[in-house]
Amino acid sequence: MEVNIAGLRLKNPVMTASGTFGYGEEYSDYIDLNELGGIVVKGLSLKPRLGNPPPRIMETTGGMLNAVGLQNVGVDLFIEQKLPFLRSFDVAVIANIYGESEAEYAQVARALSRASGVHALEVNVSCPNVKKGGLSFGADPKAAASVTRRVRAETDLPVIVKLTPNVTDIAAVARAVEEAGADAVSLINTLTGLSVDLTTRGPHLKNITGGLSGPAIKPVALRMVWQVAQSVDIPVIGMGGILDAEDALEFMVVGATAVQVGTANFINPRATVEIIGGMEHYLKVHQIKDVREMIGTFNVA
Amino acid sequence: MAKDIYIGEVSENKEIRPDYYLMKVKLPLSFGNPLPGQFVMIRIAGLHDPFLSRPISIYSFERAKSALIIALLYRVVGKGTQILSGLIKGSQVEIHGPLGGGFEWPEQKKQVVFIAGGIGIAPLSLMAETLCRDACLPRESMTFYIGAQTAQSVIGLERLNDLCYNVHVCTDDGSLGRKGLVTGLFQKDIKKYPADATMVYACGPKGMVRALSKLFRGSAFQCQVSLEERMACATGACMGCVVAVRGEQGALAYKRVCADGPVFDLQQVIWDET
Repeated sequence: MEVNIAGLRLKNPVMTASGTFGYGEEYSDYIDLNELGGIVVKGLSLKPRLGNPPPRIMETTGGMLNAVGLQNVGVDLFIEQKLPFLRSFDVAVIANIYGESEAEYAQVARALSRASGVHALEVNVSCPNVKKGGLSFGADPKAAASVTRRVRAETDLPVIVKLTPNVTDIAAVARAVEEAGADAVSLINTLTGLSVDLTTRGPHLKNITGGLSGPAIKPVALRMVWQVAQSVDIPVIGMGGILDAEDALEFMVVGATAVQVGTANFINPRATVEIIGGMEHYLKVHQIKDVREMIGTFNVA
Repeated sequence: MAKDIYIGEVSENKEIRPDYYLMKVKLPLSFGNPLPGQFVMIRIAGLHDPFLSRPISIYSFERAKSALIIALLYRVVGKGTQILSGLIKGSQVEIHGPLGGGFEWPEQKKQVVFIAGGIGIAPLSLMAETLCRDACLPRESMTFYIGAQTAQSVIGLERLNDLCYNVHVCTDDGSLGRKGLVTGLFQKDIKKYPADATMVYACGPKGMVRALSKLFRGSAFQCQVSLEERMACATGACMGCVVAVRGEQGALAYKRVCADGPVFDLQQVIWDET
Protein backbone atom coordinates (compact mmCIF):
# COMPACT_ATOMS: atom_id res chain seq x y z
CA MET A 1 0.00 0.00 0.00
CA GLU A 2 3.04 2.24 0.26
CA VAL A 3 3.37 5.22 -2.06
CA ASN A 4 5.98 7.89 -2.51
CA ILE A 5 5.35 11.59 -3.10
CA ALA A 6 8.59 13.32 -4.04
CA GLY A 7 10.60 11.47 -1.41
CA LEU A 8 7.81 11.57 1.15
CA ARG A 9 7.04 7.96 2.02
CA LEU A 10 3.44 7.24 2.90
CA LYS A 11 2.60 3.83 4.34
CA ASN A 12 -0.65 3.99 2.37
CA PRO A 13 -2.16 6.53 -0.03
CA VAL A 14 -4.75 7.90 2.41
CA MET A 15 -4.19 11.29 4.02
CA THR A 16 -6.54 13.62 5.82
CA ALA A 17 -7.52 16.83 4.06
CA SER A 18 -6.53 20.10 5.65
CA GLY A 19 -9.22 21.78 7.70
CA THR A 20 -11.18 18.61 8.27
CA PHE A 21 -8.93 16.91 10.80
CA GLY A 22 -7.84 19.73 13.10
CA TYR A 23 -4.31 19.08 14.35
CA GLY A 24 -4.83 15.34 14.57
CA GLU A 25 -5.54 15.25 18.30
CA GLU A 26 -9.26 15.84 17.68
CA TYR A 27 -9.48 12.40 16.07
CA SER A 28 -6.99 10.46 18.18
CA ASP A 29 -9.75 9.15 20.43
CA TYR A 30 -11.48 7.57 17.45
CA ILE A 31 -8.68 6.10 15.37
CA ASP A 32 -5.05 5.10 15.67
CA LEU A 33 -3.27 7.93 13.85
CA ASN A 34 -0.39 5.53 13.11
CA GLU A 35 -2.62 3.79 10.59
CA LEU A 36 -2.87 6.85 8.35
CA GLY A 37 -0.77 7.50 5.28
CA GLY A 38 -0.46 11.12 6.30
CA ILE A 39 -2.04 13.89 8.33
CA VAL A 40 -2.48 17.27 6.71
CA VAL A 41 -3.12 19.74 9.49
CA LYS A 42 -5.42 22.76 9.49
CA GLY A 43 -4.05 25.67 7.43
CA LEU A 44 -1.40 27.59 9.36
CA SER A 45 -0.77 31.30 9.10
CA LEU A 46 2.03 33.42 10.50
CA LYS A 47 -0.16 34.88 13.27
CA PRO A 48 -3.20 33.24 14.89
CA ARG A 49 -6.36 33.90 12.88
CA LEU A 50 -9.78 34.59 14.36
CA GLY A 51 -11.62 33.26 11.33
CA ASN A 52 -14.93 34.45 9.92
CA PRO A 53 -17.99 35.31 12.02
CA PRO A 54 -20.69 32.63 12.27
CA PRO A 55 -22.78 31.09 10.83
CA ARG A 56 -19.95 29.38 9.02
CA ILE A 57 -21.47 26.20 7.67
CA MET A 58 -24.58 25.10 5.83
CA GLU A 59 -25.59 21.66 4.76
CA THR A 60 -26.41 21.23 1.08
CA THR A 61 -27.58 18.25 -0.94
CA GLY A 62 -24.79 15.68 -0.72
CA GLY A 63 -22.39 18.03 0.99
CA MET A 64 -21.88 21.27 2.81
CA LEU A 65 -20.68 24.83 2.44
CA ASN A 66 -18.12 26.26 4.81
CA ALA A 67 -16.66 29.71 5.31
CA VAL A 68 -14.47 29.16 8.34
CA GLY A 69 -11.84 31.59 7.11
CA LEU A 70 -8.77 29.69 8.32
CA GLN A 71 -9.25 30.09 12.07
CA ASN A 72 -5.99 28.65 13.41
CA VAL A 73 -3.51 28.96 16.24
CA GLY A 74 -0.71 30.38 14.08
CA VAL A 75 2.54 28.71 13.17
CA ASP A 76 4.42 29.39 16.43
CA LEU A 77 1.75 27.94 18.71
CA PHE A 78 1.38 25.01 16.32
CA ILE A 79 5.05 24.17 16.63
CA GLU A 80 5.03 24.66 20.38
CA GLN A 81 1.72 23.05 21.34
CA LYS A 82 0.41 20.83 18.55
CA LEU A 83 3.46 19.39 16.85
CA PRO A 84 4.91 17.52 19.89
CA PHE A 85 1.72 15.43 20.02
CA LEU A 86 1.95 14.60 16.31
CA ARG A 87 5.64 13.67 16.67
CA SER A 88 4.65 10.83 18.97
CA PHE A 89 3.08 9.01 16.01
CA ASP A 90 4.71 7.17 13.14
CA VAL A 91 2.85 9.09 10.47
CA ALA A 92 3.76 11.64 7.81
CA VAL A 93 2.81 15.12 8.99
CA ILE A 94 2.08 17.64 6.25
CA ALA A 95 1.70 21.26 7.29
CA ASN A 96 -0.75 23.25 5.21
CA ILE A 97 0.43 26.84 5.01
CA TYR A 98 -1.29 30.08 4.21
CA GLY A 99 -0.17 33.70 3.92
CA GLU A 100 -1.69 37.05 3.14
CA SER A 101 1.42 37.88 1.12
CA GLU A 102 4.26 35.98 -0.50
CA ALA A 103 6.52 37.08 2.33
CA GLU A 104 4.16 35.53 4.88
CA TYR A 105 4.07 32.23 3.00
CA ALA A 106 7.87 32.30 3.06
CA GLN A 107 8.05 33.03 6.79
CA VAL A 108 5.60 30.25 7.68
CA ALA A 109 7.49 27.83 5.43
CA ARG A 110 10.80 28.76 7.05
CA ALA A 111 9.48 28.30 10.59
CA LEU A 112 8.02 24.87 9.79
CA SER A 113 11.14 23.71 7.97
CA ARG A 114 13.18 24.33 11.11
CA ALA A 115 10.75 22.46 13.32
CA SER A 116 11.22 18.76 13.79
CA GLY A 117 8.30 16.53 12.88
CA VAL A 118 7.01 18.23 9.73
CA HIS A 119 7.57 16.03 6.68
CA ALA A 120 6.14 18.16 3.88
CA LEU A 121 4.44 21.45 3.20
CA GLU A 122 1.15 21.89 1.42
CA VAL A 123 0.81 25.42 0.08
CA ASN A 124 -2.76 26.66 0.27
CA VAL A 125 -3.30 28.99 -2.66
CA SER A 126 -6.92 28.02 -2.90
CA CYS A 127 -8.94 29.03 0.15
CA PRO A 128 -12.10 30.77 -1.13
CA ASN A 129 -13.04 32.22 2.26
CA VAL A 130 -10.33 34.74 3.05
CA LYS A 131 -10.10 38.30 1.80
CA LYS A 132 -6.35 38.38 1.24
CA GLY A 133 -4.14 35.65 -0.15
CA GLY A 134 -5.62 32.23 -0.69
CA LEU A 135 -7.59 32.09 -3.89
CA SER A 136 -6.10 35.32 -5.22
CA PHE A 137 -2.79 33.48 -5.58
CA GLY A 138 -4.21 30.22 -6.80
CA ALA A 139 -6.51 31.52 -9.52
CA ASP A 140 -3.67 32.95 -11.58
CA PRO A 141 -0.91 30.67 -12.91
CA LYS A 142 1.74 33.40 -12.59
CA ALA A 143 0.83 34.31 -9.00
CA ALA A 144 0.65 30.63 -8.03
CA ALA A 145 4.06 30.01 -9.56
CA SER A 146 5.52 33.00 -7.79
CA VAL A 147 4.33 31.83 -4.35
CA THR A 148 5.60 28.35 -5.13
CA ARG A 149 9.07 29.71 -5.96
CA ARG A 150 9.18 31.68 -2.70
CA VAL A 151 8.25 28.65 -0.62
CA ARG A 152 10.57 26.40 -2.63
CA ALA A 153 13.48 28.73 -1.83
CA GLU A 154 12.76 28.53 1.91
CA THR A 155 12.57 24.80 2.42
CA ASP A 156 14.13 21.42 1.68
CA LEU A 157 10.86 19.70 2.52
CA PRO A 158 8.69 18.38 -0.32
CA VAL A 159 6.40 21.18 -1.47
CA ILE A 160 2.83 20.27 -2.42
CA VAL A 161 0.69 23.02 -3.94
CA LYS A 162 -3.03 22.76 -3.28
CA LEU A 163 -5.05 23.93 -6.24
CA THR A 164 -8.43 25.57 -6.51
CA PRO A 165 -11.14 24.31 -8.85
CA ASN A 166 -12.49 27.86 -9.19
CA VAL A 167 -10.56 28.48 -12.40
CA THR A 168 -11.14 27.97 -16.10
CA ASP A 169 -8.03 25.87 -16.69
CA ILE A 170 -6.72 24.07 -13.63
CA ALA A 171 -4.11 22.22 -15.69
CA ALA A 172 -2.49 25.54 -16.60
CA VAL A 173 -2.07 26.41 -12.91
CA ALA A 174 -0.72 22.92 -12.23
CA ARG A 175 1.88 23.27 -14.99
CA ALA A 176 2.87 26.70 -13.72
CA VAL A 177 3.55 25.50 -10.18
CA GLU A 178 5.36 22.43 -11.49
CA GLU A 179 7.71 24.68 -13.44
CA ALA A 180 8.15 26.83 -10.33
CA GLY A 181 9.47 23.85 -8.39
CA ALA A 182 6.47 22.19 -6.78
CA ASP A 183 7.10 18.54 -5.93
CA ALA A 184 3.44 17.60 -6.13
CA VAL A 185 0.00 19.12 -6.50
CA SER A 186 -3.12 18.36 -4.48
CA LEU A 187 -6.63 19.04 -5.73
CA ILE A 188 -9.36 20.02 -5.45
CA ASN A 189 -10.00 22.58 -2.75
CA THR A 190 -13.66 23.53 -2.29
CA LEU A 191 -15.87 24.97 -5.02
CA THR A 192 -17.26 28.41 -4.27
CA GLY A 193 -20.98 28.19 -3.61
CA LEU A 194 -23.98 29.98 -2.16
CA SER A 195 -26.97 28.91 -0.09
CA VAL A 196 -30.08 31.07 0.14
CA ASP A 197 -32.44 31.27 3.10
CA LEU A 198 -35.82 31.86 1.49
CA THR A 199 -37.40 33.05 4.76
CA THR A 200 -35.03 35.98 5.10
CA ARG A 201 -33.99 36.07 1.42
CA GLY A 202 -30.49 36.33 2.75
CA PRO A 203 -27.50 33.99 2.69
CA HIS A 204 -27.22 31.11 5.15
CA LEU A 205 -23.57 32.03 5.73
CA LYS A 206 -22.41 35.27 7.27
CA ASN A 207 -19.61 35.34 4.70
CA ILE A 208 -22.35 35.06 2.01
CA THR A 209 -20.40 32.53 -0.08
CA GLY A 210 -18.59 29.43 1.10
CA GLY A 211 -16.65 26.44 -0.18
CA LEU A 212 -18.63 23.40 -1.25
CA SER A 213 -17.32 19.98 -0.21
CA GLY A 214 -18.63 16.46 0.16
CA PRO A 215 -19.77 13.80 -2.32
CA ALA A 216 -21.60 16.44 -4.38
CA ILE A 217 -18.26 17.63 -5.80
CA LYS A 218 -16.70 14.25 -6.56
CA PRO A 219 -17.38 14.19 -10.31
CA VAL A 220 -15.85 17.64 -10.71
CA ALA A 221 -12.83 16.59 -8.66
CA LEU A 222 -12.31 13.40 -10.66
CA ARG A 223 -12.45 15.32 -13.93
CA MET A 224 -9.88 17.84 -12.70
CA VAL A 225 -7.51 15.24 -11.25
CA TRP A 226 -7.68 13.39 -14.57
CA GLN A 227 -6.89 16.57 -16.53
CA VAL A 228 -4.05 17.61 -14.24
CA ALA A 229 -2.51 14.12 -14.11
CA GLN A 230 -2.17 14.20 -17.90
CA SER A 231 -0.61 17.66 -17.84
CA VAL A 232 2.15 17.34 -15.27
CA ASP A 233 4.93 14.88 -14.44
CA ILE A 234 4.88 15.45 -10.67
CA PRO A 235 2.62 13.32 -8.45
CA VAL A 236 -1.01 14.35 -8.05
CA ILE A 237 -2.89 14.01 -4.78
CA GLY A 238 -6.62 13.71 -5.41
CA MET A 239 -9.49 14.75 -3.22
CA GLY A 240 -13.06 15.92 -3.36
CA GLY A 241 -15.99 14.02 -1.89
CA ILE A 242 -14.24 10.75 -1.08
CA LEU A 243 -16.47 8.74 1.24
CA ASP A 244 -15.27 5.18 0.78
CA ALA A 245 -12.52 2.96 -0.65
CA GLU A 246 -14.12 2.82 -4.10
CA ASP A 247 -14.12 6.62 -4.28
CA ALA A 248 -10.45 6.71 -3.29
CA LEU A 249 -9.50 4.10 -5.89
CA GLU A 250 -11.38 5.98 -8.62
CA PHE A 251 -9.11 8.97 -7.94
CA MET A 252 -6.06 6.72 -8.27
CA VAL A 253 -7.36 5.28 -11.52
CA VAL A 254 -7.60 8.76 -13.06
CA GLY A 255 -4.02 9.47 -12.02
CA ALA A 256 -3.73 10.29 -8.33
CA THR A 257 -0.76 8.79 -6.48
CA ALA A 258 -2.44 9.46 -3.14
CA VAL A 259 -5.74 10.82 -1.89
CA GLN A 260 -7.03 13.04 0.87
CA VAL A 261 -10.21 12.40 2.82
CA GLY A 262 -11.97 15.50 4.09
CA THR A 263 -15.64 16.04 4.74
CA ALA A 264 -16.18 12.30 5.24
CA ASN A 265 -14.40 12.70 8.61
CA PHE A 266 -17.30 14.87 9.75
CA ILE A 267 -19.95 12.24 9.31
CA ASN A 268 -17.70 9.37 10.33
CA PRO A 269 -14.58 10.04 12.41
CA ARG A 270 -13.32 6.59 11.42
CA ALA A 271 -13.72 7.25 7.68
CA THR A 272 -9.97 7.28 6.91
CA VAL A 273 -9.13 3.95 8.49
CA GLU A 274 -12.25 2.36 7.04
CA ILE A 275 -11.17 3.58 3.59
CA ILE A 276 -7.67 2.13 4.10
CA GLY A 277 -9.19 -1.19 5.14
CA GLY A 278 -11.54 -1.10 2.18
CA MET A 279 -8.72 -0.45 -0.26
CA GLU A 280 -6.68 -3.34 1.12
CA HIS A 281 -9.71 -5.55 0.77
CA TYR A 282 -10.26 -4.44 -2.83
CA LEU A 283 -6.66 -5.17 -3.76
CA LYS A 284 -6.87 -8.59 -2.17
CA VAL A 285 -10.13 -9.53 -3.86
CA HIS A 286 -8.84 -8.35 -7.22
CA GLN A 287 -5.42 -9.94 -6.67
CA ILE A 288 -3.56 -6.68 -7.09
CA LYS A 289 -0.22 -6.83 -5.31
CA ASP A 290 0.60 -3.17 -5.15
CA VAL A 291 -1.77 -0.25 -4.92
CA ARG A 292 0.49 1.65 -7.32
CA GLU A 293 -0.74 -0.64 -10.07
CA MET A 294 -4.01 1.30 -9.91
CA ILE A 295 -2.50 4.71 -10.62
CA GLY A 296 -3.37 6.23 -13.98
CA THR A 297 -5.04 3.12 -15.38
CA PHE A 298 -8.10 5.02 -16.57
CA ASN A 299 -9.40 3.26 -19.63
CA VAL A 300 -11.06 5.51 -22.18
CA ALA A 301 -10.80 3.14 -25.10
CA MET B 1 -9.70 5.31 22.00
CA ALA B 2 -12.27 6.55 24.43
CA LYS B 3 -14.79 7.96 22.02
CA ASP B 4 -16.67 5.99 19.45
CA ILE B 5 -19.54 5.74 17.06
CA TYR B 6 -22.19 3.41 18.38
CA ILE B 7 -24.91 1.57 16.55
CA GLY B 8 -28.08 2.18 18.50
CA GLU B 9 -31.45 0.53 18.20
CA VAL B 10 -34.55 2.65 18.31
CA SER B 11 -36.76 1.19 21.02
CA GLU B 12 -39.40 3.88 20.87
CA ASN B 13 -40.05 6.93 18.69
CA LYS B 14 -43.35 8.65 19.21
CA GLU B 15 -44.94 11.99 18.57
CA ILE B 16 -45.75 13.16 22.06
CA ARG B 17 -47.08 16.53 20.90
CA PRO B 18 -47.63 17.87 17.40
CA ASP B 19 -44.12 17.99 15.82
CA TYR B 20 -42.42 16.99 19.10
CA TYR B 21 -40.96 13.51 19.26
CA LEU B 22 -39.38 11.43 21.97
CA MET B 23 -36.96 8.82 20.70
CA LYS B 24 -35.44 6.16 22.89
CA VAL B 25 -32.26 4.52 21.67
CA LYS B 26 -30.72 1.37 23.08
CA LEU B 27 -26.93 1.55 23.28
CA PRO B 28 -24.20 -0.69 24.64
CA LEU B 29 -23.27 -0.01 28.28
CA SER B 30 -19.85 1.12 27.11
CA PHE B 31 -21.51 4.35 25.96
CA GLY B 32 -21.34 5.39 29.60
CA ASN B 33 -23.62 7.62 31.60
CA PRO B 34 -24.03 10.97 29.85
CA LEU B 35 -23.69 14.19 31.80
CA PRO B 36 -26.57 16.66 31.79
CA GLY B 37 -25.96 19.13 28.97
CA GLN B 38 -24.14 16.64 26.78
CA PHE B 39 -25.46 15.77 23.34
CA VAL B 40 -25.17 13.13 20.67
CA MET B 41 -24.82 13.29 16.90
CA ILE B 42 -27.38 11.02 15.30
CA ARG B 43 -27.61 9.79 11.71
CA ILE B 44 -29.00 6.95 9.70
CA ALA B 45 -26.13 4.78 8.49
CA GLY B 46 -25.46 5.03 4.76
CA LEU B 47 -27.84 7.93 4.21
CA HIS B 48 -26.13 10.90 2.55
CA ASP B 49 -29.03 13.24 2.11
CA PRO B 50 -29.26 14.88 4.55
CA PHE B 51 -25.50 14.68 4.64
CA LEU B 52 -24.60 15.71 8.16
CA SER B 53 -25.53 14.14 11.48
CA ARG B 54 -27.92 16.00 13.74
CA PRO B 55 -26.93 17.21 17.21
CA ILE B 56 -29.56 16.45 19.85
CA SER B 57 -29.20 16.87 23.61
CA ILE B 58 -29.86 14.05 25.94
CA TYR B 59 -33.23 14.37 27.69
CA SER B 60 -32.88 11.41 30.02
CA PHE B 61 -31.23 8.03 30.26
CA GLU B 62 -31.68 4.78 32.08
CA ARG B 63 -29.27 1.96 32.75
CA ALA B 64 -30.73 -1.44 32.13
CA LYS B 65 -28.93 -4.71 32.76
CA SER B 66 -27.37 -5.06 29.36
CA ALA B 67 -27.96 -1.70 27.72
CA LEU B 68 -28.06 2.00 28.24
CA ILE B 69 -31.18 3.68 26.93
CA ILE B 70 -31.02 7.35 26.09
CA ALA B 71 -34.06 9.51 25.39
CA LEU B 72 -33.84 12.28 22.81
CA LEU B 73 -36.48 14.95 22.64
CA TYR B 74 -36.66 16.70 19.29
CA ARG B 75 -38.88 18.91 17.23
CA VAL B 76 -39.34 18.35 13.53
CA VAL B 77 -37.89 21.44 11.90
CA GLY B 78 -36.35 20.23 8.64
CA LYS B 79 -35.43 17.31 6.48
CA GLY B 80 -33.14 15.62 9.02
CA THR B 81 -35.58 15.61 11.90
CA GLN B 82 -38.40 14.70 9.48
CA ILE B 83 -36.55 11.53 8.54
CA LEU B 84 -35.75 10.77 12.18
CA SER B 85 -39.43 11.08 13.03
CA GLY B 86 -40.24 8.32 10.57
CA LEU B 87 -37.97 5.72 12.19
CA ILE B 88 -39.80 2.76 13.59
CA LYS B 89 -38.99 0.56 16.57
CA GLY B 90 -36.01 -1.67 15.78
CA SER B 91 -34.43 0.78 13.32
CA GLN B 92 -30.70 1.27 13.59
CA VAL B 93 -29.11 4.66 14.03
CA GLU B 94 -25.50 5.76 14.35
CA ILE B 95 -24.89 7.59 17.59
CA HIS B 96 -21.74 9.59 18.15
CA GLY B 97 -21.28 10.64 21.75
CA PRO B 98 -21.80 11.58 24.47
CA LEU B 99 -20.28 14.85 23.30
CA GLY B 100 -19.36 18.21 24.76
CA GLY B 101 -19.06 19.30 28.34
CA GLY B 102 -22.09 19.32 30.60
CA PHE B 103 -23.48 21.85 33.04
CA GLU B 104 -21.45 22.46 36.17
CA TRP B 105 -22.69 22.73 39.69
CA PRO B 106 -20.83 25.18 41.93
CA GLU B 107 -21.61 23.82 45.39
CA GLN B 108 -21.57 27.15 47.15
CA LYS B 109 -24.77 28.16 45.35
CA LYS B 110 -27.98 27.91 47.33
CA GLN B 111 -30.65 28.48 44.72
CA VAL B 112 -31.15 27.06 41.25
CA VAL B 113 -33.22 28.64 38.52
CA PHE B 114 -33.89 26.92 35.21
CA ILE B 115 -35.08 28.94 32.25
CA ALA B 116 -36.21 26.91 29.26
CA GLY B 117 -37.64 28.00 25.95
CA GLY B 118 -39.30 25.40 23.73
CA ILE B 119 -37.16 22.33 23.12
CA GLY B 120 -34.54 23.83 25.48
CA ILE B 121 -36.39 21.95 28.17
CA ALA B 122 -34.48 18.77 27.24
CA PRO B 123 -31.01 19.29 28.75
CA LEU B 124 -32.39 21.33 31.66
CA SER B 125 -34.75 18.54 32.73
CA LEU B 126 -31.84 16.12 32.94
CA MET B 127 -29.85 18.69 34.92
CA ALA B 128 -32.73 19.21 37.37
CA GLU B 129 -33.01 15.47 37.86
CA THR B 130 -29.28 15.12 38.39
CA LEU B 131 -29.10 17.94 40.94
CA CYS B 132 -31.97 16.43 42.91
CA ARG B 133 -30.29 13.07 42.98
CA ASP B 134 -26.54 13.74 43.13
CA ALA B 135 -26.29 17.15 44.73
CA CYS B 136 -29.19 16.24 47.02
CA LEU B 137 -30.70 19.65 46.45
CA PRO B 138 -34.09 20.05 48.10
CA ARG B 139 -37.07 20.71 45.83
CA GLU B 140 -37.54 24.04 47.56
CA SER B 141 -34.32 25.45 46.20
CA MET B 142 -35.10 24.69 42.55
CA THR B 143 -37.40 26.77 40.36
CA PHE B 144 -38.21 26.10 36.75
CA TYR B 145 -39.42 28.65 34.21
CA ILE B 146 -40.80 27.25 30.98
CA GLY B 147 -41.79 29.17 27.91
CA ALA B 148 -43.47 27.60 24.91
CA GLN B 149 -45.57 28.60 21.94
CA THR B 150 -48.75 26.89 23.09
CA ALA B 151 -49.95 24.53 25.81
CA GLN B 152 -49.36 21.74 23.30
CA SER B 153 -45.63 22.38 23.24
CA VAL B 154 -45.04 22.35 27.00
CA ILE B 155 -43.32 19.05 27.57
CA GLY B 156 -42.41 16.97 30.59
CA LEU B 157 -44.32 19.07 33.13
CA GLU B 158 -45.06 16.09 35.38
CA ARG B 159 -41.40 15.20 35.64
CA LEU B 160 -40.49 18.79 36.52
CA ASN B 161 -43.28 19.17 39.06
CA ASP B 162 -41.79 16.21 40.90
CA LEU B 163 -38.32 17.73 40.84
CA CYS B 164 -38.88 21.42 41.45
CA TYR B 165 -40.89 23.25 44.06
CA ASN B 166 -42.04 25.92 41.68
CA VAL B 167 -42.66 25.37 38.01
CA HIS B 168 -43.79 28.51 36.21
CA VAL B 169 -45.21 28.18 32.75
CA CYS B 170 -45.96 30.75 30.12
CA THR B 171 -47.06 30.45 26.51
CA ASP B 172 -47.05 32.82 23.57
CA ASP B 173 -50.83 32.51 23.20
CA GLY B 174 -51.71 32.15 26.89
CA SER B 175 -53.16 28.66 26.36
CA LEU B 176 -51.26 27.48 29.44
CA GLY B 177 -49.90 29.52 32.31
CA ARG B 178 -49.28 33.19 31.77
CA LYS B 179 -49.29 34.77 28.37
CA GLY B 180 -45.92 36.14 27.36
CA LEU B 181 -42.25 35.34 27.15
CA VAL B 182 -40.35 33.26 29.66
CA THR B 183 -37.73 35.96 30.13
CA GLY B 184 -40.48 38.38 31.18
CA LEU B 185 -41.88 35.79 33.57
CA PHE B 186 -38.51 35.35 35.21
CA GLN B 187 -37.81 39.08 35.26
CA LYS B 188 -40.90 39.63 37.43
CA ASP B 189 -39.42 37.28 40.04
CA ILE B 190 -35.78 38.24 39.72
CA LYS B 191 -35.68 40.14 43.02
CA LYS B 192 -36.64 36.96 44.88
CA TYR B 193 -33.28 35.42 44.10
CA PRO B 194 -30.02 36.41 45.75
CA ALA B 195 -27.89 37.12 42.69
CA ASP B 196 -24.57 35.77 44.00
CA ALA B 197 -26.07 32.65 45.57
CA THR B 198 -28.20 31.65 42.59
CA MET B 199 -27.14 29.48 39.70
CA VAL B 200 -29.14 29.95 36.53
CA TYR B 201 -29.25 27.28 33.83
CA ALA B 202 -30.76 28.28 30.53
CA CYS B 203 -31.49 26.78 27.14
CA GLY B 204 -33.77 28.00 24.42
CA PRO B 205 -34.06 29.91 21.18
CA LYS B 206 -31.53 32.63 20.34
CA GLY B 207 -33.99 35.45 21.08
CA MET B 208 -34.55 34.13 24.60
CA VAL B 209 -30.87 33.68 25.33
CA ARG B 210 -30.06 37.10 23.95
CA ALA B 211 -32.75 38.68 26.19
CA LEU B 212 -31.36 36.84 29.21
CA SER B 213 -27.91 38.04 28.37
CA LYS B 214 -29.18 41.62 28.47
CA LEU B 215 -31.02 40.99 31.73
CA PHE B 216 -27.94 39.62 33.49
CA ARG B 217 -25.43 42.07 32.10
CA GLY B 218 -23.51 43.66 34.92
CA SER B 219 -25.33 41.61 37.57
CA ALA B 220 -23.85 39.04 39.94
CA PHE B 221 -26.00 36.27 38.51
CA GLN B 222 -24.08 33.38 37.07
CA CYS B 223 -25.82 31.75 34.13
CA GLN B 224 -24.76 28.64 32.28
CA VAL B 225 -26.39 28.47 28.89
CA SER B 226 -26.49 25.56 26.49
CA LEU B 227 -26.13 26.90 22.96
CA GLU B 228 -27.13 25.46 19.64
CA GLU B 229 -25.41 25.99 16.28
CA ARG B 230 -25.31 24.15 12.98
CA MET B 231 -22.67 21.49 13.41
CA ALA B 232 -20.63 19.26 11.13
CA CYS B 233 -17.90 17.18 12.79
CA ALA B 234 -18.72 17.50 16.51
CA THR B 235 -15.11 16.57 17.29
CA GLY B 236 -13.79 20.13 17.34
CA ALA B 237 -11.97 19.84 14.03
CA CYS B 238 -14.06 21.72 11.48
CA MET B 239 -14.52 25.02 13.37
CA GLY B 240 -17.99 25.27 11.86
CA CYS B 241 -20.15 25.65 14.98
CA VAL B 242 -18.46 28.60 16.64
CA VAL B 243 -19.96 31.35 18.77
CA ALA B 244 -18.37 34.68 19.65
CA VAL B 245 -17.16 34.89 23.24
CA ARG B 246 -14.86 37.06 25.29
CA GLY B 247 -11.56 35.25 25.30
CA GLU B 248 -8.33 36.11 27.08
CA GLN B 249 -8.19 39.75 28.15
CA GLY B 250 -11.74 40.22 26.94
CA ALA B 251 -10.81 39.97 23.28
CA LEU B 252 -13.23 38.44 20.80
CA ALA B 253 -12.67 34.75 20.22
CA TYR B 254 -14.66 32.13 18.36
CA LYS B 255 -15.30 29.05 20.48
CA ARG B 256 -16.66 25.76 19.21
CA VAL B 257 -20.10 24.81 20.53
CA CYS B 258 -19.30 21.10 20.05
CA ALA B 259 -15.96 20.93 21.84
CA ASP B 260 -15.71 24.07 24.00
CA GLY B 261 -19.45 23.97 24.82
CA PRO B 262 -22.28 23.42 24.31
CA VAL B 263 -22.53 24.98 27.79
CA PHE B 264 -21.09 28.48 28.08
CA ASP B 265 -21.02 31.17 30.73
CA LEU B 266 -23.67 33.53 29.40
CA GLN B 267 -21.73 36.58 30.57
CA GLN B 268 -18.91 35.57 28.20
CA VAL B 269 -21.06 35.28 25.08
CA ILE B 270 -20.91 38.23 22.71
CA TRP B 271 -24.15 38.76 20.85
CA ASP B 272 -23.46 41.77 18.69
CA GLU B 273 -20.92 39.84 16.68
CA THR B 274 -23.20 37.00 15.63
